[in-house]
Amino acid sequence: MPAIPSVEAMHSTPSGASSAGSPVVARVEALAKAYGSGTGRVTALADVSIGIRRGQFTAIMGPSGSGKSTLMHIMAGLDSPTSGRAWLGDTEISALGDTELTVLRRRRVGFVFQAFNLVPTLDVSGNILLPFELDGRRPSSEEQAWIDRLVDSLGLRDRLRHRPHQLSGGQQQRVAIARALATRPDLVFADEPTGNLDSRTGREVLALLSAASQDYGQSIAMVTHDPVAASYADRILFLADGRLVEDRGRASAEQISAFMLAMERAA
Amino acid sequence: MSRLKDHAPSVLVAGISAAFGVALLRVTAVIGTAAAADSATSGETAGLVLGVVAAVFIVIAMYVAAIVTANTFSTILAGRTRTIALRRLLGSTASAERRAVAGEGLVVGVVGSLLGLAVGTAVAAGLTALAVALGHLPDLDYGVVDGSAALPVIAVALTTWLASWVGSRRVLDVTPMQALGGAQERTGAEAAGRGRRATALVLVLVGLGLVGLGVVLGLISPLGVLVGLIGGILSFTGLVTGSAWVMPPALRLVGRLFGGSAAARLAAENALRYPERSSRTTIGLVIGVTLITMFAVGTESLAQIIRAIDGGSGDLDAMLTTTVTVLSVLLGFSALIAAIGMVNNLFLSVLQRTRELGLLRALGFTAAQIRRMILAESAQLTLAALLVGVALGTFYGWAGAQALLGSVNGAPGLVLPGMPWPVLTALAAGSALLTWVASLAPSRRATRVSPIAALAVS
Ligand SMILES: Nc1ncnc2c1ncn2[C@@H]1O[C@H](COP(=O)(O)OP(=O)(O)OP(=O)(O)O)[C@@H](O)[C@H]1O
Ligand SMILES: [Mg+2]
Repeated sequence: MPAIPSVEAMHSTPSGASSAGSPVVARVEALAKAYGSGTGRVTALADVSIGIRRGQFTAIMGPSGSGKSTLMHIMAGLDSPTSGRAWLGDTEISALGDTELTVLRRRRVGFVFQAFNLVPTLDVSGNILLPFELDGRRPSSEEQAWIDRLVDSLGLRDRLRHRPHQLSGGQQQRVAIARALATRPDLVFADEPTGNLDSRTGREVLALLSAASQDYGQSIAMVTHDPVAASYADRILFLADGRLVEDRGRASAEQISAFMLAMERAA
Repeated sequence: MSRLKDHAPSVLVAGISAAFGVALLRVTAVIGTAAAADSATSGETAGLVLGVVAAVFIVIAMYVAAIVTANTFSTILAGRTRTIALRRLLGSTASAERRAVAGEGLVVGVVGSLLGLAVGTAVAAGLTALAVALGHLPDLDYGVVDGSAALPVIAVALTTWLASWVGSRRVLDVTPMQALGGAQERTGAEAAGRGRRATALVLVLVGLGLVGLGVVLGLISPLGVLVGLIGGILSFTGLVTGSAWVMPPALRLVGRLFGGSAAARLAAENALRYPERSSRTTIGLVIGVTLITMFAVGTESLAQIIRAIDGGSGDLDAMLTTTVTVLSVLLGFSALIAAIGMVNNLFLSVLQRTRELGLLRALGFTAAQIRRMILAESAQLTLAALLVGVALGTFYGWAGAQALLGSVNGAPGLVLPGMPWPVLTALAAGSALLTWVASLAPSRRATRVSPIAALAVS
């Protein structure tokens, strides 16, 4: 596979040798995003500056339309800002082109979406290994051992040959988590990962994400509406109208609900 | 409005087959008139023979068009599943939904065949005028239309209607449940009945037996070719009927040729995602390639045998070349119709995978990888059709020539099939062109998919 030299060089510090000691795995500075123009102009993000800490499970909360998904898309290299800058490790992603961003997502970012996470023609094993395949390589023996551990701890061992349509929603999310963790990315992004699940299955998925961050030091950024989901996180960022309005540590679901109610009254 | 756009390719297919039928009948009528004026006695017979030959080619084109249309309808309906499920949920019956689809098919058939009538008549008139101007035909009053044009027009309208009915069968499988929730796409779930499989198998076995018998009988008498002909028709009908079992293994085999990169592997899976759809997409091409190869190999093998008997002559070679060219052009229309079907199907299947393409982009598929994947998918379909078609055509063509002339005094007994390299080269070039053309629109569309838009929960 012809690699892109600049990205190749960029990747020579997988977890960022120089940034390994840095407490921040990703950050944005004075980020703004607007859609449309003239009178139809919508400001999704206005002057947001945030740092996501390495090894932490961070929740991003806020009312519908507050810009959570937009922020996540820009931080993950899926979308570009109108102004401001974004970094993943030492790489300024707001300066990269489409192909470089694509390779960056493949190697340094993991994703768990609300739905449609899996490729229907591939079985569970094929879906988990997809980021390696896209990179035109097989997992090293060390990586394979890690994947085996993930598969076992996520209870997917006897499902490896199943296709997505043969799995329940919760099992599909577990496969997506295994895939997101398989490459040991710098940062895993999860957008409403429990949005399509019942509350029990949702709690299982959240426990898995929080274990990944606690046990393996995986950095995770999760977008959610749900105070219960956010209560699994080490840190909670609140957005409203495209701005950061609150940044607090671990909190219970009740505290989070109370804060959100207060925020809505203030609005 | 979007329904009109859905059906544009089917109108085109109906139009081409009707135009082909109208023009071919018209041209044979003109040649018949000219022959009758030339020698009053044999004209009528010549006209009749030409008419029968023309009818055979028109029926082949219409048959391929019907397969293409049935497939297009079935693919379009796959994209409408949710809408149909919602209507079922709100109380519409499955048969009412299916009748509505077939109604669209009738409109497509009527509009297409009337357009074909206009185009076919104009082309035939143009060709006649050209032939008269060049002195190939006497300057007579040939008229512009005759009643025979009604035949292909009505036949195309009806077969299109029938094809849409066949293609709409999947409407019956749509359950109101599918309107609820983000049901995961099922793959490989379409499978035709067992009865069909048994019929196909019997036809192929009996047919091949008869072809073999024809070749052996041909060593004794030229009448062996009649036995072989029946065997050929039976076995080929069996293959087409059983295409859902013949084509997937061929596709799988060809898919392996493209290596193990992610793009190639996903392409291989995609080409087999709906085995029945891919089989029908490729079988039209297989029919075209088989028939072209069959006539070319047949004439080439005949030429070989004749040369072995009397040393051959330039006259013979020139005549055979002309025959092969004319037949290839006539069959080329069937191949063209099949090619349109393939282009359209590849485009629709990419359109229906927007969300999945967005996911792949998000996970790290570059635009170039997406393009390679779609090119490989396209190549897999054309290459499988080409290989199967050339293999079958070579066999049938050789068997026909062998059965016809194997018994003639001085014939060398069994010969190897004569390989018509110019025709085979043209087929390979045509397939390469089709592969590329078919991948253009889907690639453009697929690389434009934004991961964010595709993954937004609607
Ligand atoms: N493609 C787009 N074109 C125009 N406006 C958009 C687009 N995408 C998002 N927006 C607008 O930007 C704002 C922020 O949207 P965003 O999807 O980030 O919100 P969110 O916080 O994720 O909301 P939700 O909780 O409903 O998912 C909203 O007002 C939305 O309407
Ligand atoms: Mg959102």
